[in-house]
Amino acid sequence: MLDQGILEPGGIRLDDPSPSKKRVLERAAQILSRGNGDMGVAIFERLLERERLGSTGLGGGVALPHARMPGLSQSRAGFLRLARPVDFDSVDGKPVDLVFALLVPEDATEEHLKLLAELARLFHGQSLREELRKAGVEQAYKLLTESSNHDAA
Amino acid sequence: MKIIILGAGQVGTTVAQNLAREANDITVVDHNGDLLREMQDRLDIRTVQGQASHPQILLQAGAEDADMIIAVTNSDETNMVACQAAWTLFHTPTKIARVRAPEYLKHPALFSQNALPIDVLISPEQLVTDYILRLIEHPGALQVLDFAGGLVRLVAVRAYYGGPLVGHELRDLNDHLKSGEARVAAIYRKGQAIEPHGDTVVEPDDEVFFLAATQNIPAVMRELRRAEKPFRRLIFAGGGNIGRRLAAALERRYRVKVIEQNPECAASAAEQLRDTIVLCGDAADEDLLREENIEDSDVFCAITNDDEVNILSAMLAKRLGARKVMALINRAAYVDLVQSGNVDIAISPQHATIGSLLTHVRRGDVVMVHSLRRGAAEAIEAVAHGKPGDSKVVGRMIEDIRLPEGASIGAIVRGDTVIMAHHDTVIESEDHVILFLMNKRKIEEVERLFQVSWSYL
Repeated sequence: MLDQGILEPGGIRLDDPSPSKKRVLERAAQILSRGNGDMGVAIFERLLERERLGSTGLGGGVALPHARMPGLSQSRAGFLRLARPVDFDSVDGKPVDLVFALLVPEDATEEHLKLLAELARLFHGQSLREELRKAGVEQAYKLLTESSNHDAA
Repeated sequence: MKIIILGAGQVGTTVAQNLAREANDITVVDHNGDLLREMQDRLDIRTVQGQASHPQILLQAGAEDADMIIAVTNSDETNMVACQAAWTLFHTPTKIARVRAPEYLKHPALFSQNALPIDVLISPEQLVTDYILRLIEHPGALQVLDFAGGLVRLVAVRAYYGGPLVGHELRDLNDHLKSGEARVAAIYRKGQAIEPHGDTVVEPDDEVFFLAATQNIPAVMRELRRAEKPFRRLIFAGGGNIGRRLAAALERRYRVKVIEQNPECAASAAEQLRDTIVLCGDAADEDLLREENIEDSDVFCAITNDDEVNILSAMLAKRLGARKVMALINRAAYVDLVQSGNVDIAISPQHATIGSLLTHVRRGDVVMVHSLRRGAAEAIEAVAHGKPGDSKVVGRMIEDIRLPEGASIGAIVRGDTVIMAHHDTVIESEDHVILFLMNKRKIEEVERLFQVSWSYL
């Protein structure tokens, strides 16, 4: 379900020690910047801005922080599994341990909205969440990139 | 939210009190251990003792995880450097600093992410000056608060026996008003809040908060109250920063006198101001006040940096016949005492400051918060975003929005247009919605309403 190149295996961090929402977003921005430090700060600010309008914590311990990014031509994603769940101001009030961060081009289209909705649908499935909580990097990458047929079943 | 407050002085304490009540995670930093211990006894906060701008101290205070830093120490320089350190070393998302010296404030270029990374500058003196200016513009108002960049104002007035407001049901109000619409947001009777309904009847001495488009306010006030003559003669006690700013802003339209005790300060004020008469003397000196025809003055406003002088001189001016007296009061306990006595309006810089701070603590896109009734009530301007699918307000009629008890929507600003709220007004994306909340404990429900859902892109 994720197009080629959106998520790289290097974009997956398991058992990340970030202890707060702020640091989770900072870390997510760092991953999404793919090594470009200045861009990392800019991404962090975009993620924060979006989060200020309302939390992307969608319940069940999952958050989908996302933002539009000027100058970006192709969407990027990153995945964090937190060592300890952090308060994310989620809809259900529960702390978050699975964080899927998504960056889309500034002029994001219907296609990107669909991607977001698809991700949410996926993470609503309890089985995927449970598998991700146990997975190693390789398996997590597989689960996230091939889970269109895996689905919420 | 995780918030670090630098400085345990008057403002720091007031802010901590307000924020600790709202399930925030607060750490207060000050070099004075006694102040911190005193605060910790009363509030559920963490404290760190040390120099507020030092990186090591910020780190100890939890800067790596903090969502916000509020720098309100006594030193402008400490506040500015602390924000710089917080951004450069810890990427703290929101940095708020109190900066008082006009010498810095004159140069807005200093305060940007590339220079001094301060997101919000708080200048209490500017806030107090603006507050007093609005009161002088609207004789008869107890409080005047701006929304949507000044397009809409919330005004508090006292209802008088025999006035058009008294004895009528609120639903008749807009029929009375020829000058445009107004919404009564709240009524306080003997200090108790009454939720206004169509059949609520206003009684004499009620304190009535109403919202209207700014251009309509003078006319609405004329109709709501006995005709109150505009102010002409103003006396300011205190020729410091606030006194000078006020005099400079008003001297062309009013007859302004400033009384300043310090000869040097009086001389420099006289030099700065063109049409203002600056007197060197004691504002609490009865003979001086009589000499300056205090009985003919419309406003006596005491704004020295001494609470006692302000209170006493204002009381004296009232007794000698000044029409309206105001006093700037720093100590919260004094504000409560004085407001019920002979001073018409007590002005609290902390109170003016707390609103601008709360604006940034509120979740959702909140652009203005005014704290009212010593923090019990709140007036909020929030921006609606999104589509009906990811917003709880966009696309809905006001009557279908699930507001908590005691909350009401008074007006909407769409672009430059002020729309007074009707039950069937439909909220659109990017509307600025102005709400009144009688009971601040319900704030979280209002915040939730205006937050977009996770799906908003």
